[in-house]
Amino acid sequence: MTETTIGHATCEADAVDGVDIRIEDDASPIVRLIGRTIADSVRAHRADAVVAGVEGIVAVRSHDTPQAATISISNGVVAVSSGVFISPDVTLTVDLNARLAPVGEPAGEGDLAATSLALLSPPLPDWQVAAETFWAAARSVPGIPDVLVAVADGPDGLDQLVVGEGETHYVIAGPPELLAGIFSGADDLIAALSTGLIGVRGTLSQLSVLVAASWKVRYDV
Amino acid sequence: MSEITATATDRDAAVHTVRLEATNHDGSFLGKNVAPKKFAASAESGFAFADLLFGLDLGNDPTFGFAYPDWRGHLADVQFRPDMSTLMQWEPGLQSVIGDYWQTDGTPVGTCPRNLARKLVDRLATRGFTATVAVEIEATLFQESIHEARAKGYRDLTPLGGSAGTAYHLAKSKDWVDYMSAVARRLEEIGIEWEAWSDEDAAGQVELNLVPGDPISVCDAWARARQVMREVAFELGHTVTFMAKPTAGYGQASHVNLSLQRDGVNAFYAEDGPSPTMRHAIGGLLATIQGATSIVLPQITSYRRLVDLSGPPTTVTWGISNKTTAVRAVCGHPAYSRLEYRVPGADANLYLAVAAILAGVIAGLDGAIEPPEPVSDMAWCAPDLERLPNTITKAAAALEADPILREQLGDEFVDYWVGTRRWEWMQFHTAGGDPCAELSEWESTRYFEFP
Repeated sequence: MTETTIGHATCEADAVDGVDIRIEDDASPIVRLIGRTIADSVRAHRADAVVAGVEGIVAVRSHDTPQAATISISNGVVAVSSGVFISPDVTLTVDLNARLAPVGEPAGEGDLAATSLALLSPPLPDWQVAAETFWAAARSVPGIPDVLVAVADGPDGLDQLVVGEGETHYVIAGPPELLAGIFSGADDLIAALSTGLIGVRGTLSQLSVLVAASWKVRYDV
Repeated sequence: MSEITATATDRDAAVHTVRLEATNHDGSFLGKNVAPKKFAASAESGFAFADLLFGLDLGNDPTFGFAYPDWRGHLADVQFRPDMSTLMQWEPGLQSVIGDYWQTDGTPVGTCPRNLARKLVDRLATRGFTATVAVEIEATLFQESIHEARAKGYRDLTPLGGSAGTAYHLAKSKDWVDYMSAVARRLEEIGIEWEAWSDEDAAGQVELNLVPGDPISVCDAWARARQVMREVAFELGHTVTFMAKPTAGYGQASHVNLSLQRDGVNAFYAEDGPSPTMRHAIGGLLATIQGATSIVLPQITSYRRLVDLSGPPTTVTWGISNKTTAVRAVCGHPAYSRLEYRVPGADANLYLAVAAILAGVIAGLDGAIEPPEPVSDMAWCAPDLERLPNTITKAAAALEADPILREQLGDEFVDYWVGTRRWEWMQFHTAGGDPCAELSEWESTRYFEFP
């Protein structure tokens, strides 16, 4: 039962572009994912316009697992907590491994549903920008390789970005948009690998550490 | 051949198989069967096991999300070295031997539970102490066969012995008595001494007490006794589980009792209460209990037990003869003065639990750590008592940050263990576990049979 305990939502160190985004202590992965996604969304829009004037309770449910979370929007504060324990104004069913894409139509109030979907679908950054950001976050992960080589196979051919310096290298190659998704946390690294669209070269141990780095950008753990 | 059988029980010289046995970090009893000729040829040098025995989770997936130690490469091999003092006859023709895992350069694999426990036992010995350990094995029996249980997803099973659960109840149906009697007979046949067995609190639940002894021998007996309980269940067409909470009802524990001896005298005994040695041991245990919780409550389900008033401790407390506290001191008798460490769940790996407990004790003795005041009131529901970590992530974070346990157990073990617990947390949430259920199907599938 203790896994169901809902802790008090706590404020992030700094509000994101004027929006106070809070997640509970000891938050579950879905709560962390939603909180980080909303923060990215607010940053991308460079304003709190998305949240301003909107209030309500939104349930977010995974389409294929029991994962669920509640988003509460009120007075410019967005709070995310585990599970759904009160009657929501809107219920969204989403694919957590497809960038929170809706599965079916939202149930509930239209404006709130639209706002919620907007909050959960930030634009992807450029893959090279995302790689730089990823690398900055990954440097603190114990055991991370010295150098990350990202190879994008786009419509104009191969493009490569090398970040870091040193002796140990790790290569990740794939379509630019999928690289952007992995490096920004929008896509899960292991799920992406299972699609066959991503290739990696390095040791098994390095892959394990890269997974830790991907959790850092995706879930902030 | 002759060398092998000469060290065995001598009841059957016609050995056809030797079973190599050891627990992995999750407490699963793993091994392989080798021909006597192969055993004789490699007993000295060791047997190759793929490092994945420490690298797969209970769902058979490779664990990711942390830096591997040097020995864990691309499914490289580690060496199983049998401890010949454990060689015995399991059944006619089948011998059993417990061992440890070593790297090819002769250094111990840092996550090998038996090596780790022995390291702490040896460290205690350098302080002039020997430890005596006792363990309570709790398990729940179900009427269905393992095949029926698997077909039902381990849910909605029928408790063996009736649906009423009452501790010490003697009015149990014969099938329940027959099972435990058969277990006791099998233990006697293979030379594991037991002291008692009884009805435990929940329907179908049993408690089995093995004879106290030196820590490694007791851990070995614990691993084998659980194997016996499984095999007897298979034979009688029933099912047994050591899940921390196999149903939404009662959980089950694995309390560890510990006493220390110096020069053959119980060092925990004093006429007027805890001896200074006992006080310092308690001080060390409480100083490390937050981080140690990760080790003795290893799985997601382990934490579902931690409910006030339901039996398990929930606070960082000790008391004299107070079973609501995490550490219970039994005082006043030169033979029986001891500590009962009440946090471990039935799913704990006893080798690791013993290592964690001895780590706290040694730190307490080295630092002469004085414990806080004992709790004489009820230690549940109290608003001013520090709580034990109540999730796998909080406990892992506490272990990661504990300098004492890092020093005693080693960075390699701590980092590896914390990494595997974070993986377990991530798997639970993202691969089908339901935190809002009283007990999710994912947990039943993952933990009912293993560890």
